[in-house]
Amino acid sequence: MIEIRGIRKTYPDGTEALRGVSHRFSEHVTCILGRNGAGKTTLIRILSTQLLPTSGAAVVNGYDVVSQPGRVRGIISSIPQEAKPSGIATPMEHCMMYLSARGMGLSEAERESRRALKALDLTEVMDKPADELSGGTKRKLFVAMALASRAEIIFLDEPTTGLDPISRLEVWSAIKKLKSQVILTTHYMEEAKVLSDEVVLVEGGRIITHGTVAQLLAPFKGKVRIEGDGGRYRLGGLSFSYVDKAKAKRFVGKNVTIKPVDLEDIFVTRGIKVED
Amino acid sequence: MKIRFIWEFARFYGITALRRATIYSIAIMALPLTLLFVFYIISKGALLPYAIAGGMIAIVAGNALTIASDAAFFRLELRMQDLLVATQIGQTEYMLGMALGDLIFSLPGIAVYLVLGFAFHIFTAYSLALTAVILLFLALSTAALAFTLSSFVAHVRNVWGITTILSIGLTTLPPIFYPYTLLPNYVLWIFAISPATLAAMLAQGAYGLSPVSVNAAIALVAETVLLFAASLKFARWREL
Repeated sequence: MIEIRGIRKTYPDGTEALRGVSHRFSEHVTCILGRNGAGKTTLIRILSTQLLPTSGAAVVNGYDVVSQPGRVRGIISSIPQEAKPSGIATPMEHCMMYLSARGMGLSEAERESRRALKALDLTEVMDKPADELSGGTKRKLFVAMALASRAEIIFLDEPTTGLDPISRLEVWSAIKKLKSQVILTTHYMEEAKVLSDEVVLVEGGRIITHGTVAQLLAPFKGKVRIEGDGGRYRLGGLSFSYVDKAKAKRFVGKNVTIKPVDLEDIFVTRGIKVED
Repeated sequence: MKIRFIWEFARFYGITALRRATIYSIAIMALPLTLLFVFYIISKGALLPYAIAGGMIAIVAGNALTIASDAAFFRLELRMQDLLVATQIGQTEYMLGMALGDLIFSLPGIAVYLVLGFAFHIFTAYSLALTAVILLFLALSTAALAFTLSSFVAHVRNVWGITTILSIGLTTLPPIFYPYTLLPNYVLWIFAISPATLAAMLAQGAYGLSPVSVNAAIALVAETVLLFAASLKFARWREL
């Protein structure tokens, strides 16, 4: 379990990335969802002991990330956003190097590497230098490294960015089978819906809401989103309003579309612009 | 100290480069061998032993200096440092893994110079043993210096120029390919900022080419300790 209390992070250039965030992460898979610059990566990096918070406390399975980073590092695996492999080393060599850093023995590391690479359909390329792999395959390699670690808690910062749909499904499938607690950040609403036991919505360095997908969408139950004329929320030239499904047909017109309510509407209803 | 990680990272970083990017191993020999040729022609062979002793030092120091750009690239572009910070290894193991990897990467170059040294009869058992010790200290001290400097590189765009500048300043200008006795004392000790200068002074002494300098031996050990301590103190591992 991870508990954070009043975490703030101000970078040396004065950017306030986190503004007093408190939360308890106790579900199997938690997705932190938010726009670029919302504070997702900063939060993950603090929890992974890669970055010191300016103030506040964060405890990972009973260990403080500031005063006991060594303890925390023994139980986590964290894959940075935009991590790239070394072009001259193979996926197998990456896994072996990473698992040795986590203190895993040679034979166990080899076994776990093969298992994880197989789970992500990387067996065929495991002995190819990384500069011969596609962008998506390189990204999957890092997910495989995290899977092979068998860490108690796994942090994945945008693990599926840039993946094709099939690779994304493979990553989702692998994550779902994990016994570890997983905290991942994502831009993708669909990913949050498919994977998460809990969704944490982050904006402007704050958690704006959290809960299961069902809980978050409960206020919209029985409603649809109207895009077009006469709505209350203006966004990129469109207007939105939320009406009962039964009334929706009245709104169908030349410039009006009706869409089912989704996670992005939680941002929209708070006046937060959602990117395509 | 996670010895297995140091070896595994040296394999990951050094042996893979040797196997799959062999061209760089040859490239790193190009300048020392060119200088050897030039010195041989100009001095009519008189400076050949200096250029052989210096070439080995230039290869080891030059390879260790690549840590300045490689570590910065790994941190800024590959995010490898972030990946490893969140494990149980620390910056010492990471740096030693890189240093060992670069030393392994230097082996073909060392082998070429060993062949030249034997061919021109400049080695004795004593000088060879001393060379091994000198090269070890040189690799460690230069790696520590390069790693510390790497952590101050803020942008990837600046990464690749660093090694070139460092390499010229620390392994080409100092008295590595020519007798250190040619330089005035105060210039010599300015160049002694580079561990390669001290290593060359010791090697020239060991091969009987120049007077033996006990001060250089003391300075190389002290510099290695100081640079290693500086890397622990100033190199950035966990971000603030």
